[in-house]
Amino acid sequence: MAVPISQMGTVAWYVIKKRLAGNKRYPLVLMLEPLFRCNLACAGCGKVQYPPHILKKQLSPEECFAAVEECGAPLVSLPGGEPLLHPQIVEIVNGLIARKKYIYLCTNALELKRRLPEFTPSKYLTFSVHLDGEREHHDYSVCREGGYDIAVEGIKEAVKRGFRVTTNATFFDGTDPNSVRGFFDEVMDMGVEGIVLSPGYSYDKAPDQTKFMGRARVRRLFRAILSNRKPTWKFNMSPLFLEFLMGDRKYECTPWGSPAFNIFGWQRPCYLLQEGYAESFKELLETTKWEEYGVASGNPKCANCMVSCGYEPSAVIEGFGSLKGFWGMVRGTFSRYPDPHALKLLNEPMPHGRTPLVQIDHSTQTLEETNA
Amino acid sequence: MTAEVAKYTMAQVEALELAPGAEHEQLEGWVPALATDDELRQALGKALDYRGDVTLTLKTGERIEAFIFNCQTGPTLAESFLQYFTPSSPEKRKVGYAEIARVEFTGKDRAAGKHWEDWVKAYNEKKAAGEKNIALVPDKLD
Repeated sequence: MAVPISQMGTVAWYVIKKRLAGNKRYPLVLMLEPLFRCNLACAGCGKVQYPPHILKKQLSPEECFAAVEECGAPLVSLPGGEPLLHPQIVEIVNGLIARKKYIYLCTNALELKRRLPEFTPSKYLTFSVHLDGEREHHDYSVCREGGYDIAVEGIKEAVKRGFRVTTNATFFDGTDPNSVRGFFDEVMDMGVEGIVLSPGYSYDKAPDQTKFMGRARVRRLFRAILSNRKPTWKFNMSPLFLEFLMGDRKYECTPWGSPAFNIFGWQRPCYLLQEGYAESFKELLETTKWEEYGVASGNPKCANCMVSCGYEPSAVIEGFGSLKGFWGMVRGTFSRYPDPHALKLLNEPMPHGRTPLVQIDHSTQTLEETNA
Repeated sequence: MTAEVAKYTMAQVEALELAPGAEHEQLEGWVPALATDDELRQALGKALDYRGDVTLTLKTGERIEAFIFNCQTGPTLAESFLQYFTPSSPEKRKVGYAEIARVEFTGKDRAAGKHWEDWVKAYNEKKAAGEKNIALVPDKLD
């Protein structure tokens, strides 16, 4: 079990209280983007393409605290941009810890080793290090050779100093499931608490991108990756969300489950789409036309999305909201998901040979998929 | 299926093998004609999606260099407004659609030319030439 009991208990109690109060829409994770500035220039990134005067702006600690208190979510994710470039990030983190929020500071770790002495280990603070795969794959993905080695150095130092550390990876079309499984072995050997993963998504405002995995392909890839798990692998995610990625469960998106706040305000309707901003969280909840989003809406912008910020809240709410969901979560935590068909695929050669690199051409391999 | 599909059925969504990526128009330097209310609304919709500054000329003659991040549209121009940041001001600002006379896409499009495929091609070429420490670097802020 990768998520500590205290954190699970906090989230469970929060969900139960919201349900008992009859709340229909409530947040689980605040995506608090303190800045958009980044020290990487990943091709295709949909988060950091702004004019310099926007990239120089950042939320003050007071603005961060006000957003956290207004939102009320028990978990706070600090993505960006690169949060460690924020000159007051330590003050922000310490303020959130004082408010007893479980923080996931998402970092590419280029600055992590240097900045670690400024932070204090806490059960509330996790460094969630962006690692997209084995060395060559990660460097290729973040468009920087040597990026993996620097990040791993930061991870090892953080683990040594007693911090909670997870890795987070995004996988795109052409990903070699064997390479990903090898990568899981690598990161668990580094002593991290668990792995976080998600399929890629075609940001509407990102630079031109021509190919993204649709849902059928996502389910096949994640079934190949996540079936027949090794006992050493730990995932810092809801087991029900992982089953959703494998095609064993169906969920509708819960976009208000991970609301995003940044220098522009409260982002509509979710962390990925930018269709305007609200001045307050209350305004976001009350005035966003939620029925126009999610797969059931038929909105093409939501068609290929199976990303954690929309679907993991759905899984968490099911997990802590019913006995059946809770039992599914317990069973999923301890299951290895044996699947001979998925194993067969892993033993077949990739069209490009075994490679750690994401390929642009499409795999012609087929895998019988599970689709709940 | 393409990005032009207005609405997917659940069956189409679940069977989707590949999703069309985002396609962006080349808007840098564009000065749209604003003869009608609809043309103004469309131009401001594109300005909202644009990853660069635009220059707004108000009916008073004032010119504003702005990064538009929010458009709130109502049934009439008088009930519609947009929010923006200027390069020189830290505060969010607001202007009504009805006050706008001209829109120019004057700033550099920061999302242009950053395709994944371009990186793959450049990487492979540099690797073949024996280069080390191949990387893309962020744009300078000054």
